[in-house]
Amino acid sequence: MHREAVVWSQRLVFALAIATLLFASWSETPRAQTDISGNWRPLPRNQDGSGMIGDLAGVPVSPGGRWRAESWSPDDFDVAEWVCRPHAWDYSLEGPLSAMRLWADVDQATQEVIAYHGHINQSEQETTIWMDGRPHPPANALHTWSGFSTGEWDGDTLVVTTTHLKETYIRRWGIMRSDQSVVRTRWRRMGTYLQATSILYDPVYLTEPYIRTTMMWVYDPALLMGPYPCEEATETAVPRGNVPHYLPGQNLLPSWNRAIVDDFGTPYEARLGGPETMYPEYIAKMKAFPRAAAAPAGSTERGR
Amino acid sequence: MSRLPRAATSRLILASVTVMTTLGVFGFAERVSTQAGQGGVRQAAWPPALRGPAPGEVEVLPVQGQVFLITGAGANITVQAGEEGILLVDTGLASMSDKVWAAVQTISKGKLRYVINTTEHADHTGGNATIAAKGETVPLRERTYTAGPMGTLEYNRASVISYLTVLHRMSAPTGQAAPTPQAAWPDNTYSTPQKRFYFNHEPVVITHQPANTDGNSVVLFRKSDVVSAGDLLDLTGYPLIDLKAGGSLQSIVQALNRLIDTTVPAAHASGGTLVIPGHGRIADHAEVAYYRNMTTIIRDRIQDMIRKRMTLEQIKAARPTRDYDARYGRATGAWTTDMFVEAAYRSLAAGTN
Repeated sequence: MHREAVVWSQRLVFALAIATLLFASWSETPRAQTDISGNWRPLPRNQDGSGMIGDLAGVPVSPGGRWRAESWSPDDFDVAEWVCRPHAWDYSLEGPLSAMRLWADVDQATQEVIAYHGHINQSEQETTIWMDGRPHPPANALHTWSGFSTGEWDGDTLVVTTTHLKETYIRRWGIMRSDQSVVRTRWRRMGTYLQATSILYDPVYLTEPYIRTTMMWVYDPALLMGPYPCEEATETAVPRGNVPHYLPGQNLLPSWNRAIVDDFGTPYEARLGGPETMYPEYIAKMKAFPRAAAAPAGSTERGR
Repeated sequence: MSRLPRAATSRLILASVTVMTTLGVFGFAERVSTQAGQGGVRQAAWPPALRGPAPGEVEVLPVQGQVFLITGAGANITVQAGEEGILLVDTGLASMSDKVWAAVQTISKGKLRYVINTTEHADHTGGNATIAAKGETVPLRERTYTAGPMGTLEYNRASVISYLTVLHRMSAPTGQAAPTPQAAWPDNTYSTPQKRFYFNHEPVVITHQPANTDGNSVVLFRKSDVVSAGDLLDLTGYPLIDLKAGGSLQSIVQALNRLIDTTVPAAHASGGTLVIPGHGRIADHAEVAYYRNMTTIIRDRIQDMIRKRMTLEQIKAARPTRDYDARYGRATGAWTTDMFVEAAYRSLAAGTN
């Protein structure tokens, strides 16, 4: 009798083990542990750059990108056509510390995520990240501020590829990325925190990919998302049809003035940016550059 | 045959079960966290290649409302199709006519009633003869009518509209050789600031807009909210300046400002009125603004250099387009950066407007 009980208990345990394995194999249906949906509050961080207006340090600008920045005038923001120009989605993630809501479209039949949608408070920019394997649109389709995005999982990281972007700024003082740019964004949720890393590829104004790594949000279900409307301006400080810019060699922004230096002592040569200025080795090289003694006069740096 | 003791057998079984269960649970957890199996999504190629039409092929893209775009046939072709038939803006290269017509037929089987030429250049008008012959002019009189000017209209051909100078440049005075066959010539010209009509239940407003030549036309489909801009907007390169045909950089800047005034953006400077350029992708108000900025900045630089009495060679050496060359410049082909700078210089130096 005792021996029979042992045999039955062994059979029971075996059956349980096989059932566990079968369940594990069958259970392909994804769960929500890495779901990025929710209301996300941005966490403060240091923006890149020294803060001196016109500073290109740390950005791998091409010569064309540097020349483009040199012609940029702050009056650009008062051009009527640009009054409602939003921060593009990729800049919104890094620049304005803006609240963000992400939500999923789920196919009811399969319970698979078809797409994630994103809404960011600044200028009400929205994105859709297609998860269903669809191709990107034809080359001649319209470009938008958010572009066209597709996503796929790399482990627990959502990797998003964005094409069809409009030209916009990398920093809001003339460092531009072109409409040929492609952005790869890696989203990673760690409990109640969400992190994004973006890698910007631009064959026109960058010589190497530009990587942003400082973007972090915390889950906040009580987050309020306010409206952020904008109506096209027809009258601004800049007469219609005018395009403010500096002629070559005549830029008046502080960073382009060799005679002054910022709070960090960033030399003029470093402020011209370029791929070399991204890497730590450049710090040693920078020590050999002359530094101006004069501080900029007036309100020339962010936060002053 | 030797046998393990019962206690040892039980321990072995228990250990096996523990290992299998653990593996099972961990395997399950892994699938849950990665969602890797979802939809069998393949790793996308990087960087993603954007598809345009293959060489020698055309592609149809819906634009907005009743308007479509055909690319790949030389200049872009705008198609407006509805209950009353088909209207084309430009006809592309002559060699692509059959493929263009086949593409038009995928949009509508209606009658081709109108062709509008935005300029006389061959990449815009090359298909006129073949394609217009597929159509039929809207009859203004009964077919047997012979009295008066209406009697001269040829019904078995779509009406080809253009600004008057386009006809002048495609034809020639009697007795002289014309650069294009008569079958390609516009037969419905205008010489006023605007020509307007109502077709497919929407206003079609054709505006004379000197820019690349003195005879550019810009076509607004008012209900579809689409503008066909012709070569005034070329998102693949610097704007063509045809000096012999009266084009100038200053005219292009002015025309782009008028195009900006015509287009109304939707919220946050995106979408709204859509613009079909002469070459390149579908655009909107913001894209026109960027292009206007580029042409204006280059104009101002060259103008400044002219004021400083720099020669053409000095201006070319100073590279007034240098920050835009990687986007719009070409070293070879029919319209190079060098040709653009030279034409811009000559039109500005002459004060051509």
